[in-house]
Amino acid sequence: MFKWTWKSLFSQRGTLVGSALGIACTFILVIFFDSVWRGESLQVVSYPSHMKPNVWVMQSGVGNMHMAMSFIWDWKADKIAKMPGVKRVTPILYMNSVVSAAHTRMFAFIVGLLPGDKRAEPWALTAGRHIKKPLETVIPDVLSTITNVNVGDQLHIADKSFTVVGLSSGTYSSANSVLFVPFSDLEKILSSTGTYSYLLVDAEEGTDPDSLAKRIRDEVEKVNALTHDQFVRNDLSLAKQMGVDIIIIMTAICSTLAVLIVGFTSYSLVMRRRRELAIIKALGMGSMNILISVIIQSGILTLFGFTIAVLFALFVIPYIPLILPQLTLAVSFTSLTQIGLIALVVAILGALIPAWLVSRVEPATAFHV
Amino acid sequence: MFLLAWRQILLDPLRTILTSVALGSVIAVILILAGFEQGQYHQLEQIVLHRKADLIVTQAGVNNFIAVRSSIPQLARAKVEAVDGVINAHPITAIPIIYNANNIRTPVYVVVYDTKGGPSSIIQGHNIKQGRDIVIDLSLATKYNLKPGDSFQVTGFEFKIVGITKEAAFMMPFAFINYDGMIDLFIESEIAPDLSTFPLLSYMLVELKPNSDREKIARLIEQRVSSVDVMTPDQLAENDVNMGKVFFEPIMGLLVTIGYIIGMLVVGLIMYADIRGRIKSFAVLKALGFSFGRLFLAVLVQSLLLLVITIPIGIFLALGLAEFIETIAPVYLIQLFEPKMFIQILIACFGFAFIGALIPIRTIQRTDPMLAFQGT
Repeated sequence: MFKWTWKSLFSQRGTLVGSALGIACTFILVIFFDSVWRGESLQVVSYPSHMKPNVWVMQSGVGNMHMAMSFIWDWKADKIAKMPGVKRVTPILYMNSVVSAAHTRMFAFIVGLLPGDKRAEPWALTAGRHIKKPLETVIPDVLSTITNVNVGDQLHIADKSFTVVGLSSGTYSSANSVLFVPFSDLEKILSSTGTYSYLLVDAEEGTDPDSLAKRIRDEVEKVNALTHDQFVRNDLSLAKQMGVDIIIIMTAICSTLAVLIVGFTSYSLVMRRRRELAIIKALGMGSMNILISVIIQSGILTLFGFTIAVLFALFVIPYIPLILPQLTLAVSFTSLTQIGLIALVVAILGALIPAWLVSRVEPATAFHV
Repeated sequence: MFLLAWRQILLDPLRTILTSVALGSVIAVILILAGFEQGQYHQLEQIVLHRKADLIVTQAGVNNFIAVRSSIPQLARAKVEAVDGVINAHPITAIPIIYNANNIRTPVYVVVYDTKGGPSSIIQGHNIKQGRDIVIDLSLATKYNLKPGDSFQVTGFEFKIVGITKEAAFMMPFAFINYDGMIDLFIESEIAPDLSTFPLLSYMLVELKPNSDREKIARLIEQRVSSVDVMTPDQLAENDVNMGKVFFEPIMGLLVTIGYIIGMLVVGLIMYADIRGRIKSFAVLKALGFSFGRLFLAVLVQSLLLLVITIPIGIFLALGLAEFIETIAPVYLIQLFEPKMFIQILIACFGFAFIGALIPIRTIQRTDPMLAFQGT
C-alpha cells in the first residue's frame, strides 16, 4: 500500500512540486513573521544586554528601558556609589524621540553619555570614533546605510543639529535604533538639570547582585533597582508582547491555508486514482489501509513543504538583511519545532476530505467501463 | 472558451469549493497583511486629527506627535494666545508610561488634556469628570479585563476608569486624564521628587477665529515664539505616517510579496492539477483542431473566472478575520478598503492568476492529440 501511495504521489511530479512549494510558502510566511518579531525583540534589548552592569537603577515604578521614561536625582547616584559592594556607578540620560536623518524620520532611543564615559558607550564602531565634543553623535551603521548619512554629515534631534562622528554596529532595529550623544546636549533637549535616567551599577567581585539591588531599593528612596537579568527579561517580555497576538493569528491563518493546499492536492490525487482505489477495494484491501495511505500521502506532501520552508529559514532568511538592512531577523529553532508540530496537524487535517472520499469509493466502480 | 471554462468549474463542485476557499484564503491573507499596514497608518493619522485643532504647536524641532518627547515652556501659551486670529491654545501633555499588572507590561501613551484634545469618542462609560478619572483604550481594557469602575494603577497612583475609548496608534493604546489627574499623579505618586524633568506642556491645540489663514498664523506664531514649531494637524499626521512607513514598509512589503507568491503557486497548482486531470479532453480538443493558443486561452479564462468567483470569498474571509483580530486585539486596526491599496491588490491578484495560468502551459503544449484515440 505504501508503495502505491509513493508511486501515485510521484506520478504527478508537477502537482507534488507545486503543492510542496505552496505549503512551503505558507510556512515561510509564518517563519518570516516570527523571525521579524523575534529579531526586533532581541534587538530592543541589544543595548542593555551589551552593557551588562550587575544592577540597573531607575525611577521607582519603572522596570525596563524600552519605551519607558525614567528620571532620578544625581545625588542618588552619589549615594549608591558610596554603598558597600559598589565598584562603579555609570549614569546615562535616555530619551525616546524621532530623529531626522536626510529625508528620513525615524523612531530612535537617544543615550546621553557623560564626558569620557567608556562604560556606557557603543561597544563596536564600524567607522569613525566615539563622541568627544558637544553636538557630536554616533549613529547605527545600518541607519547610515539606509539614510546615506555618513561620518561628517548632520542629523537632527529635536531642534539640535548633531555631527555624525562614528557608526556603531549592532545598535539598529526598526523599532529601537540607539544613538549616542553628549550628556549635556541631551540635558538641553530634555530641559533637565541634575537628573539621570538610568544608573549602571557594577558590583565589586563577590557581591551578590540580588542582595545589592535589594539594598539599593531599601536604602535609596524612590528608586527601583533590578539585577541585569531581571531588567533585560522585563524589556524582552515587553517587546515580545507587542505583536505576539498578530503572530498567533497569522500562524493560524497560514496554517489553515496550508491545510487547504494539502487538502486540495490530496483530493486531486485521490480523485484521479478513484478507479485504482476501487480495484484495490474490490481486491479485498480494507478501508483503514487506504485511509492510512491517504494520510501518509498528505504527510509526505506536508513534510516536503515543511522541509523547503526550514531550508529557506536556515539558508535564505539570514541573508535577507543584506538586501534589506533595516530588517533584523532571528530564526528560532523553538519556532521551527512549533511549526513542525503544526505541520503534523496540517497533514492530518488536509487528509480528512480525501479520506472521506476514499471511504465512499464503491468497489463496483472498478468494473464500470 | 468562456462556456468551456465555466463548465469545467461546475464539473466538480467539491473541488471547486476547495479551490475557491484555498484561493480565497490567499486573497484574504494578502488583504489582511496590507490592511494591517494601512490600519497602522490610519491610526497614526487619526490620533492627530482626532485632537481637532486648527493648528498644533510643538516644541521647536519636534515634528511628530507620537513616540516623541515635546516640551514647551509654560509661558509660551500666553504668547501664542496673544497672536491675532488665535482664540485659544488648549494645552495637552503626552506622558509615555509602562502599565504593569499581572506581570504583563504594556506601553501606554497618556494624553493629559484640559479643555480640548480628550478622547474622540466614548464607547463605554463616560468622559472624565474628576482628577482621578481616566479613560482608557479598548485594547487595554480587553488585555487586562478592565471596565469602567475598576482602578488603574500608575506608579502607585490609583486612577478610576470611567470610560473606554477606541484610540491606539503605533501598536500602543492611549489613555486620557486631565491636568488635575496629572498633578495628583506627580505629587502623590512615587515619582514626585523627580518631576522637574517631566514635560508639563507638550503640545498646544490652537483654535482659530473662523476663516483665518492657518498658514499665515502658523508663521506668525513661529516668529513670535521661538521655542515652538507650528503645523497643521494634516502636516503633523503626515509626519507620523511617514515615520510609521519607515518602520512598517520593509516588513509588510516582504510579507505581502510572499502572499502574492503563494497566490501564484496556488493558482498554478490548481490549473496544473486540473489540466493533468483532463489531459484526454485537451487531446480531444487538439485532435479537433483547436490551436495551442485557444487552449491556453481556455485555461487563462478558467483561471481568471476562478479568481472572479474567489475574490468575494477572499473579501468575506478577510472581513471575518479582520473582525476577529480587532475583537481579540483591538490595538490593531485592519483597514481592508483603503481604495488605492484595494485596487492594487485586485490588479495584483489578476496578475498572479495570469502567471499561475502560465505554469501548466508546457503540459498543454506537450499534449499529444493521439491520446484522444487511446482507450482507458
